[in-house]
Amino acid sequence: MRAQFRSRIRFVLALIILAALLVLVRLYFVQIMHGDDYALKADRQFASGGSGLFDRGAIYFTSKDGTNISAATLATGFLVAINPQTIQDPEAAYTAIAAVASTTLSHDAFLAAVAKKNLVYVEVAQHIPDAAGQALAAENIPGVQVLRERWRYYPGGTLASQAIGIVSYGSGDTLVGQTGLEAEYDGTLSRSGDSLYKNFFAELFSNVGNLLVNAKDAREGSIVTTIEPDVQTRLEHDLAAVNGQYSSKESGGIIMDPATGAIVAFASYPNYDGNNLQNVDPSLLGNPLVEQVHEFGSIMKPLTMTSGLDAGAITPQSTFDDPGCITVNTMRICDWDLKPKGVIGVKQIILQSLNVGASWVATRLGQDKFRSYFTTLFGQKTGIDLPNEGHALLGNLATTQQVNFDDMSFGQGIAVTPVQMIRALGAVANGGVMVEPHLVSAIRLDSGITRKLDWSHTTPVFSATAARETTQMMTEMFDTKLENGKAIIPTMSVAAKTGTAQLTDGHGGYYTNRFFHSFVGFFPSYNPRFIILLYTDDPQHVEYASETLDTTFLDLTHFLIDYYQIPPDRGFATSTSQG
Amino acid sequence: MRNSRFPFSFSLVPLLSGTVAVLAISYIGLIAVVMSYAALTVEFSQSVKNDESAVAVLEGQYLASIASIQDLDYRTAGYAAPLAQIFVPAASMTALR
Repeated sequence: MRAQFRSRIRFVLALIILAALLVLVRLYFVQIMHGDDYALKADRQFASGGSGLFDRGAIYFTSKDGTNISAATLATGFLVAINPQTIQDPEAAYTAIAAVASTTLSHDAFLAAVAKKNLVYVEVAQHIPDAAGQALAAENIPGVQVLRERWRYYPGGTLASQAIGIVSYGSGDTLVGQTGLEAEYDGTLSRSGDSLYKNFFAELFSNVGNLLVNAKDAREGSIVTTIEPDVQTRLEHDLAAVNGQYSSKESGGIIMDPATGAIVAFASYPNYDGNNLQNVDPSLLGNPLVEQVHEFGSIMKPLTMTSGLDAGAITPQSTFDDPGCITVNTMRICDWDLKPKGVIGVKQIILQSLNVGASWVATRLGQDKFRSYFTTLFGQKTGIDLPNEGHALLGNLATTQQVNFDDMSFGQGIAVTPVQMIRALGAVANGGVMVEPHLVSAIRLDSGITRKLDWSHTTPVFSATAARETTQMMTEMFDTKLENGKAIIPTMSVAAKTGTAQLTDGHGGYYTNRFFHSFVGFFPSYNPRFIILLYTDDPQHVEYASETLDTTFLDLTHFLIDYYQIPPDRGFATSTSQG
Repeated sequence: MRNSRFPFSFSLVPLLSGTVAVLAISYIGLIAVVMSYAALTVEFSQSVKNDESAVAVLEGQYLASIASIQDLDYRTAGYAAPLAQIFVPAASMTALR
């Protein structure tokens, strides 16, 4: 009896082993011998539906009350694919699909897709709204597949597009951030894609550690920017206006909190709509505010002035003799009006924007100290959280010819990025201390934790006294010179400086009739909430920045004072001026 | 003699068979629970994504309305430029105290 039982057991075991061997042999042929063929076949059949839906973290604007508004998020809808082998009535299918397609569907292209009888999957329409896609799916048209789809969506369209950036297919077959914050924070925003479709049972036993402490939850999330959508909209609106009015090559602007480096608005024009990249000039996809360098002209003078004051080379009471033009190393340097002014105080260098005066300060300062200050101001990248930040062109600092230092003192012969410029000028506004300009304040992790980013690193450059003395000169310039004194705001001190630089001709010289206009200002002057940097490149039929950018600066200043309800800082009584 | 050593009838095969049956049912039940959980997770996740997409459309409309307001020339809307601007005075230190 027992022997019979044992023989039965052995027989059953042999059957099981045989079956297992058959399965193993079959698996060997399927997975090893023909694995590539099956994988390819599967990819062709389920190119979209089987690869999982696109997923990516969001990018948020932060409105002044702290509300987060999506700058980049995901849209959900449908894509339509056809199976040329099974489609029965191409004309009817085309009519039904064209009726719901969000973009024009070419009849010829559709028929060409139908003609590809060797394929089983051809996508013909994408980004179809939810309701329309469901209606099309309900028609059950033979050979037409309606598949769920997600894609990157920028609710603001062009709003801050160059700061936000884009996603696209790079060298691989997955969408990755290519420019802007999308690229800079790709590690946080990208998703591995298997979180929803993984084998839970296998995970339960083979990866217990990950269930308890998931490394992805500590990495993946959304990012919260410091960009305020209303201010950003206003800046873009104003830049588009000035660019259009003067047919400039490009215009840009940055609005930043000088005490923290938080950038509230960051725009250049022309820009693009991240939702529609089909006809976008690729040169627009970069960010000129961090990648391109310019000679900014006279807005460099406050830095020269503060350097001179900080080093003790001059005092606010110092005077100098301005002949209107001087010759240095055989090169002629002149004030904008070419006129001699006689012996005047140094504050006139800022008030009247005198090149000869700035050169005099540079000479008093000496080359070594000038080099030291300007290397501190521009010798390093700002560290802004955007990719491809450019280096300043500081070659003239390494020379010993005084004319090069004189040129740099009023913003020629030294080329820096706009974000470097606002960071350096921010030191004048911020008691002599440079901060780290940044666009992202926090990362909201998928685990639910919000991690604030640390941007507290500062670089002291000037003494607070020197910065305040320059601020006084810039404030007097705004009150008395801008629009001949009509721009004054009785209850708000504003420090400002205009800049007009000649454009380089590419052959070592400068055009005499093509200019780069810039404008910087901050307010309230002695405890500033905002610093604004504006520029317009190669405006037509106009020479001075005071003609092109003062209106824009004043509009933004009044807008910010109203929008943020910045309290008055001057003890003037209620004043009335003609509007 | 045998009964004196083992007062109860005992067989290993039924015991193991029963254990295997219980484990098999537990296994199938666990798979069912896990699969249901996975399906619900996917469904909820999709639902959240759909809602976020709907919110994004509303946010797009909101941002477009901001742009529309700022692009608006108030004069075309029938408003005239102000005749005077009155500035709010700085509050005195006394008032602050």
